[in-house]
Amino acid sequence: MALKIVVCIKPVPDPDYYDKVSIDPVTKRITREGIPTIINPVDKNGIEAALKLKAQYGGKVTVLTMAPPNATENLKEALAMGADEAVLLSDRAFGGADTLATSYTLAKGIEKLEGFDIVFCGTESADGATAQVSSQLGEWLGVPHLWNVFSLENLEERTLRVRTKAENGFMEWEVKLPCLLGVSRELNKPRFISAMGIIKAKNKPITTWGKADLDAEEERLGLAGSPTKAGAIFTPDLKRKGEMLTGSAEEIADAIIEKLRTAGVNIPTKGDACIIEGGARQ
Amino acid sequence: MKKIWVFAEYVNCTLDRVTLELLTKAKELASGLKGETEVAAVLIGSRIGSTCKTLAEYGAEKIYLVESDELSLYNPMLYAPIITELVQKEDPDIFLFGATAIGSELGPTAAAQLKTGVAAHCVDMHIDENEHLVAAVPSFGGKILGEILCPDTRPQMASVKPGIFVQGEPEEREAQIIKVDVSAITADNLPLKAISLEKKETEGVPLDKAEVVFCGGYGIGCKENWGKLEKLAAIFGGAAACTRPVVDEGWAPGEHVMVGTSGKSIRPKAYVGFGISGATHHICGMKDSGLIISINKDEKAAVFEVSDAGAAADLNRILDQLMIKLDL
Amino acid sequence: MQFFEFTEDQELLRKAVREFAEAEVAPKAAEWDENDYCPMELFPIMGELGINGIFAPEEYGGAGMGHVERAICIEEISRYSAGLGIALMTHHLGMSPILDFGTEEQKKKYLPELCAGTKLCGLAVTEPGGGSDFAGQKTTAELVDGQWVLNGRKCFITNHHADVNVITAVTGQDEKGRNQLSAFIIEKGTPGFGAGRKEHKMGLRGSVTGDVILNEVKIPQENIIGNVGAGAKIGMAAIGEVGRAGMSAICVGILRGCVEEAVKFANERVVYGKPIAKLQAIQFEIANIRTEYEAAKMLLYYAAGKKDAKLPATPDFAIAKYYSTEAAVRASKRTMDLMGGYGVINEYPVGRFLRDALASIPSGGTSHIQQLIIAGNTLSAFKA
Repeated sequence: MALKIVVCIKPVPDPDYYDKVSIDPVTKRITREGIPTIINPVDKNGIEAALKLKAQYGGKVTVLTMAPPNATENLKEALAMGADEAVLLSDRAFGGADTLATSYTLAKGIEKLEGFDIVFCGTESADGATAQVSSQLGEWLGVPHLWNVFSLENLEERTLRVRTKAENGFMEWEVKLPCLLGVSRELNKPRFISAMGIIKAKNKPITTWGKADLDAEEERLGLAGSPTKAGAIFTPDLKRKGEMLTGSAEEIADAIIEKLRTAGVNIPTKGDACIIEGGARQ
Repeated sequence: MKKIWVFAEYVNCTLDRVTLELLTKAKELASGLKGETEVAAVLIGSRIGSTCKTLAEYGAEKIYLVESDELSLYNPMLYAPIITELVQKEDPDIFLFGATAIGSELGPTAAAQLKTGVAAHCVDMHIDENEHLVAAVPSFGGKILGEILCPDTRPQMASVKPGIFVQGEPEEREAQIIKVDVSAITADNLPLKAISLEKKETEGVPLDKAEVVFCGGYGIGCKENWGKLEKLAAIFGGAAACTRPVVDEGWAPGEHVMVGTSGKSIRPKAYVGFGISGATHHICGMKDSGLIISINKDEKAAVFEVSDAGAAADLNRILDQLMIKLDL
Repeated sequence: MQFFEFTEDQELLRKAVREFAEAEVAPKAAEWDENDYCPMELFPIMGELGINGIFAPEEYGGAGMGHVERAICIEEISRYSAGLGIALMTHHLGMSPILDFGTEEQKKKYLPELCAGTKLCGLAVTEPGGGSDFAGQKTTAELVDGQWVLNGRKCFITNHHADVNVITAVTGQDEKGRNQLSAFIIEKGTPGFGAGRKEHKMGLRGSVTGDVILNEVKIPQENIIGNVGAGAKIGMAAIGEVGRAGMSAICVGILRGCVEEAVKFANERVVYGKPIAKLQAIQFEIANIRTEYEAAKMLLYYAAGKKDAKLPATPDFAIAKYYSTEAAVRASKRTMDLMGGYGVINEYPVGRFLRDALASIPSGGTSHIQQLIIAGNTLSAFKA
């Protein structure tokens, strides 16, 4: 049963650098200087899931992204991991898109491929983290979709057994193909890129499509197609007093217990021993 | 009349606390709008009628009760069209969802059907001078907060993680219950079938209810130290928590004790952190704690700037001293 | 002269190996050094990633890349564990005579498993009687009844526990009475052949180094590599261009480690009310560490690039090896000095950098030997 699998990925600034992100006081825009762009980490779990299914059932894995032109670098990485072909949806008209417009554009891109059996997305991107594109893409494509998938079991008669995370537990599902799955980091361990993969990737196609290539309604793209609008941005002020405790480990432990007491926390006592200020026991 | 709706999440005979937090917030938003307002809850499931009383006590003036045995297990293919139809009929101005496992999927799904916008996992919201809902949404792991509006489409939707807003006090109140006819609904022949829901029993005090939380970061270095945090938590009647690296290393049992933008948000009376660097994505999960004390051997650690008190010391020795002093 | 830049594919390879090194090597490097443990379990994993057979043709299971790519792999891994770096580079070192001088049968027999990382390779040349005195080795190989019989002892052999070993031995004398050497393939388990005592090294721990004993070892006639008497050429080609390239790459990795650790420490350490990165003395140290890293990097990749272009590069590798090993020692000491007391605490990798750099100097030819090679080439190449 050869499968046509599509994996949506998003190039994001490397999350390891997020504490360095700031807002330029003059332009009031986010400065991302010097932060390298990588494939959104959980999207790699989607690529891995696709490659595993292809290894088992045969077929083709297409990687797709809506991004600026330099995303070809990230698509090459996905091809080096083992995907067969890549599609970049890039056009100024796609810019400023919120999750509804983004998922619409992705859907139009996927519709241009010749059908699919499964679409994989990551649960959320490291930068925006709205966690919405996966579900909304499923809606635009008109297929059953699930978010937060951490387990993929057997595929029988075009039905997948899948588990999604729930508060303190999980739900078990049966979903028929074609479908869309938003996968989480627990699903698998994405493979490293091999030297052989890099060589093979040279012969794999990367196609770029713009607005004119898609059968899309203009008013649903980009800023025009985005019901949510962005307002002011700011960095939260989380500062506190930061009083530094000094002394020996014992003295510091005493100070901590005292601060907990004054904060209204019940300090546990045991039997006839009680803790008094200064740490001496009676 | 401006209607503010809250999706009531009632799963496995438990009403998620986020519903009560959102109802409290909805009441607050209503008071910021001019003219007549109505706060309502949308409750979907099977044998759920008993929770209407609680919903009313926390602020629901009207409850859309959608009951059917076919709806006993959550299924977005069943729940979303119900919500969409209700919205199209009643035209609410604002619709709030908890950013739970269900809400994070159901909210955007309904929004896509309704072609409206959802501000995702907001940390704050208010009504502006144009009577629009303004939501504050974090990005870049919480380093940046941005305002999101949905000015042109309705309803203005938003999702909020549990523990971000505060639950109000219950008041004796009656709500108008509207029974929605779903007699024709069936889960048969759907390409997506919910088979089961399994819950794991959590031991000890749940993280979001703990009065004092002892939190371990990557600096704790080993499972043994996690064990010490659990012992401290137990004797205080509190809870032990951690950051993501601690879960990844296998020192802590799982994501359910993780605090941060991709984990839980907590606001205990007191939070004591060990070996935590202070990366924004963790701080955002505990910044509303009453008292924050941090221990990290690196005096330059960013965590000290967001703590009330701290010590640049070896956490192993501090932990050992605390255990000695508390007779553990 | 073309502007020196890595290709897109080389950058992608570097990224891939770096991700592997950060995930699988960095967290355990200190432990391997402390316990002198060689992580053989990583070899099949590296094999799958194409690292073990990086310069072997695809038809033998290799990645079909070149020596620049090989240097990238070794640099990235050695940045975190020079011990694993030298185990890997020695594996390549042993493979290269088979690849460059072996018969089709030998290549088909040995290379696939070596590329896959399921078997380990090694090269044994040095003897108790001398390493620098390559031609003066005493291990003998005699052709008896269609078999080669070898006797002797090798020492300071990294990967002395390898599955596939390339050994040089004396097979006769030439008309001037000088030793004639030949190269042979000996598989682990051959009776009389085995790893002897393991050395406890002060640096490059995490790789296994020790004796190799040959006592009436009988191997099939077809196990000779190339012709009788070709052993010197084969051995020197391997050491001169593959061994020295490997040692250079290891030290470029250590040098980069020094730059990164020095910058990290200088930015975080606050004394006199500000990070020490603001102090000029510290800035001078950092400038020197950086300059030596960049210089070593250029020398290494220039030589590797020349080799990939099929140009002779022996003196270039000697220059790269001499410079990068000595520079790694200097830079490690500078980094240690910059870090003050912290530099001698084992929680920080700098002590290990220094020990690994020191141990790199006598590997693949001492600095004295490199200087002789460089001088010899200079005196003839620069004649007026």
